[in-house]
Parts: sequence; C-alpha cells; structure tokens
Amino acid sequence: MSQTAISVLTVDDSASMRALLRSALTSRGFAVAQAEDGQEALEWLAANEVDVIITDINMPRLDGFGLIEKLRTSALHSDRPILVLTTESSDDKKQRARNAGATGWIVKPFDAEKLTTALRRVVHC
Amino acid sequence: MTTHAPLDTAASPRLTIMQGEARASADPALTMTTILGSCVATCLYDPIARVGGMNHFLLAEPPDPARAQAFDSDYGLFLMELLVNEMLKLGAVKSRMKARLYGGANMNRDLAPIGSGNAAFARAFLAAEGIAKVYEDMEGHQARRVEFRPASGLVRARMVHSDEPTAPIPTHKPRVPAQSGFGAVELF
Repeated sequence: MSQTAISVLTVDDSASMRALLRSALTSRGFAVAQAEDGQEALEWLAANEVDVIITDINMPRLDGFGLIEKLRTSALHSDRPILVLTTESSDDKKQRARNAGATGWIVKPFDAEKLTTALRRVVHC
Repeated sequence: MTTHAPLDTAASPRLTIMQGEARASADPALTMTTILGSCVATCLYDPIARVGGMNHFLLAEPPDPARAQAFDSDYGLFLMELLVNEMLKLGAVKSRMKARLYGGANMNRDLAPIGSGNAAFARAFLAAEGIAKVYEDMEGHQARRVEFRPASGLVRARMVHSDEPTAPIPTHKPRVPAQSGFGAVELF
C-alpha cells in the first residue's frame, strides 16, 4: 500500500512529550514535524504544509489558544484540523478551545491508538 | 528517640498526595505529605513565585513487551507534566523550578528493581526538561515519609522503619488515573 504518509505538526514545550509523540506517531506511519511552542509553530507553518496539527495548551511565548486563533485567521491554515492534546480537564478550557476553532480535544495521558484514529479521521473527513 | 523532628506542622493543614496525584499550592500554612516505597515523589519549587507542588507516581510494570523501554514511562510523564502545569497556573515559571526527588526504593530484593526504574525515569525527565535537580534521596531498600511545605520549598524526608505502621505500598499503578476521561478523544 503506497499511500503518502499523513504529516503531523506537534506543538509542545515538553521535550519528553515531544519524544513520546514522535515515537508514537512515526512508528504508526505518520510524518512528524515538531515545534516547541505556538510561536515556533507559526514560523514553521509560514513556510511548510502539514495535514494536521496537534497542540498543547500551556506553552511559553504563544500558548495553544493563541496558536489556534492565529491559524484560524490566517490565509494558509484556516481550515487545517487542529487537535488539542492537554492535561487540562476543565470544561471552560475545552469550550475556549472549541470557540477558538479547535477541531478536537484529547486529554493526556493519551492513548496512541485513539490518537492516531482521530488523526486519520480529521484528515480524511 | 527522635531522629528527626517533624516540620512544625501543628494545626497546619495537611494534604496527602496519593499515588497518581499531582498537586500545587502557594499556601504558606500547607504541608503536603506522602509515603513512598518504590514510588517516586517530585517536590518542585519556584522560589520567586513561592509556589510548590508534589506528585507521586509509579511506572507500570511488568514492562509491556510491545515497547522497547524497560518501564512504561507514559504515566510518569503525564504526572510530571500535570505537576508542572498545576504550578504554572499559580504563577510559577518553568525555568525557575527546582526539583527534589524522593523514593524509588527497591522494596523487595528478590524482585526486579522497580524503584530504580522509577528513579531513573525521574532523573531523565528533569534532565530532558532542563529542570534543576537540587537534591535526591532515592533508591535503597526502605520506605520514606516525605513532608513538603510548597510555599517555602522546605522538605523533610525520613526513612520509615519496618516496624512502623505505614500506608500500604502499592505495587501496581492504578488502572484509572486520578483524572477522569484520560485519553478520551472528543471531536467538535
């Protein structure tokens, strides 16, 4: 099956979480790019294409909410699926992410199979 | 026979940090406590914000054969991140955080060194995240009792003698983390 790999940008300030996501996604056939915070993600996205974005919420410089809001008003990525992956469990934060334009909400610790199923779903729908 | 006086905690509120929990506070009166066997507790402190927090975790064992690593670190990673985020909410800054690590005892000399696996994970996490480890009291073969004042960063840890009553020392991670709904995917 020669299918082009789904490309994912993960945005997380934790080096350990980036390593875990890279391992979980590359081993399941995804092409992975990574950014350390919302600002770095924006800079990378100005010059690169990606199928789906996974972002943390709590990050320095530009947090996940800010990243989603900026992407939703940008010409290049206004329709890009964005999944929030977070330790936050509050309904307020979830609502804020939804209002900002997030595509979905995933609570850590994540289940790699559920995460990859969600990635395929949001990319292909 | 007093080897170490407890912190002056008379009449101060105490919060027991159970396995699978991560809590942060800036309350100067509060003392967080826990008892550790092979589990590890991280005491994190931001001396500028005067905010501290503690977590208490045990990595999964036996190791999942589908994974290359010796212990399943995902759960420990989650509790570390949860602790950092709880502190950020109270005004702490990650680059200022200092860590003290406790626990990780190998309680049964005949079994796999579960405690050492937990200890190694905690050290590796701090190194990867650039969080300064200022002290550790880990491994060995005895349980420990830890008292932590989150607003001042003071920690008192002592060995628990085998004839002292202690909380049961869990040998497996809980199947359901303290936070409900983990791993759940909700598409909007």
